[in-house]
Amino acid sequence: MKNKSQSLWGDAWRRLKKNRLAMFCLGLVIFFTLLAVYGEIVYRYYEIKDVASPYSLTNLDIAYEAPSSRHWMGTDGLGRDVMARLVQGVRIAYKVGIITSMIAIPIGVILGCLAGFFGGKVDDFIVWLYSTFASMPGLLFILAIAMVVPDQGLLGVYLGIGLTTWVGLCRLVRGEVMKHKEQTYVQAAKALGLGSGRIMFKHILPNISHVIIVTFSLRFPAAVGTEVIMSFLGIGVQGEPSWGLMIDSARMRLWQGMWWEMTFVTIALFLLVLAFNLLGDALRDALDPRLND
Amino acid sequence: MDKLLSVEMLNVVYGKGKDSVHAVKDVTFYIKPGEIFGLVGESGCGKSSLGKAVIRLTDPTSGTIDFNGTDVASLKGKALKTYRQEVQMVFQDPYGSLNPRMKVGSAIVDVLQVHKIGNNTMERRARVTELFEAVGLEPDWAWRYPHEFSGGQRQRICIARALALNPDLLVADEPVSALDVSVQAEILQLLEKLRASRQLAFLFVSHDLAVVRNVCDRVAVMYNGEIVEMGNVADVIDNPQHEYTRKLLEAVPSF
Repeated sequence: MKNKSQSLWGDAWRRLKKNRLAMFCLGLVIFFTLLAVYGEIVYRYYEIKDVASPYSLTNLDIAYEAPSSRHWMGTDGLGRDVMARLVQGVRIAYKVGIITSMIAIPIGVILGCLAGFFGGKVDDFIVWLYSTFASMPGLLFILAIAMVVPDQGLLGVYLGIGLTTWVGLCRLVRGEVMKHKEQTYVQAAKALGLGSGRIMFKHILPNISHVIIVTFSLRFPAAVGTEVIMSFLGIGVQGEPSWGLMIDSARMRLWQGMWWEMTFVTIALFLLVLAFNLLGDALRDALDPRLND
Repeated sequence: MDKLLSVEMLNVVYGKGKDSVHAVKDVTFYIKPGEIFGLVGESGCGKSSLGKAVIRLTDPTSGTIDFNGTDVASLKGKALKTYRQEVQMVFQDPYGSLNPRMKVGSAIVDVLQVHKIGNNTMERRARVTELFEAVGLEPDWAWRYPHEFSGGQRQRICIARALALNPDLLVADEPVSALDVSVQAEILQLLEKLRASRQLAFLFVSHDLAVVRNVCDRVAVMYNGEIVEMGNVADVIDNPQHEYTRKLLEAVPSF
């Protein structure tokens, strides 16, 4: 019997700390998060002052300047600083990652809990629902949703990605809840007269929260990637410096040797996706309840 | 009326049609207040199903379960929740029956809250302290997680949780078979003590005849879903009438 009470999250954190690669990725994620916050502050600042922000001002005199001490990552075809636009791109990527998660995760968790806990007809219906969603080609479905949203732009992206990516989590949660439902502590809770909602969300859900955290860290970069593809195809963001738009505009002049915009955006995207994925994997290991005790 | 629980012609069938399993067949027995009633038999004989039907974790297919004058076999909703306050259960596996992500005291506070016992969290916490003392645990331990306790301590916590609602009957499904022998004796003593101090009756499900001989007043022997022999524990074990009971006793070296 240990003397000090220690939380299970504490154990997971200790295990995560030992993993150097995971800690490096966590550092990278924190760095990107700070950049996103900085980008939001800059964006709000110019919005409140009601002036055009420098990263969106056209200055054709300095178009296509190679990286230099004045413009560390060079300038694009309209003479805008690539680094400043890249930071704004981080802001948009984070918005997409977070808002789509706020749509997809509650849907997946609630439907998964209901299906796993009640079984029978409820389960049949939810399985039918997510099978139907899963059977449609993802990107086409997202594009279709984004097209019908009247306000073209980010709202379409949020809804498109948010409403289509809950299926994987729903399946995982359903399976986990089915597993936990048979455990004695749930039987005991039933025998003690606890209601279904309380058992599902207060007793079972904390036991499967690791699934949700891992899913968040893995779907975040996927959502970012999808946004880039959508913007690249011209259906997502308009008028704001999304990475997808930057890649789209950079590709035009790539063959003329204007490599910097494409390179830096791609590196940023690569690092963000990689950091989140590796961190997600490490989290999955660290939070595995089988390693506890 | 001298019967706390009276079960008549109870049947439990799992599944439908060809694949169905008739786990409990026409079982009839009763338990008096403050009595420890043993239920013995080999694994798969239906004794756990019977216990679960009594506490209504499994729905009986037919028959009546009379508890203090009410038929509880088909209770639903609010009435079932009220019945939960009268009959509680202790499970075999003390490791699985506590929520690993919840402090053990919080789990009990949760139960008290659901049944609206105590006016506020302070009162409910005080009740947890009482319960922990009643089962022989340090009250401070209530605010720890289950993985910090040993098997015997966990079983005490499970008993404390079951007592939270002040039941009259406790269904104990193999409550000591997952524990070390030395710890088994302590838990059995605790159950005896609770019987004496709270007039608590037990439906004591077990496959261990030695344990049953020690703690039970009366015993029923189950075989293939049916009760084949029932009576005072001394009579049944020292002078078995049914062939299956004899076989069961022969299988235990100490008898």
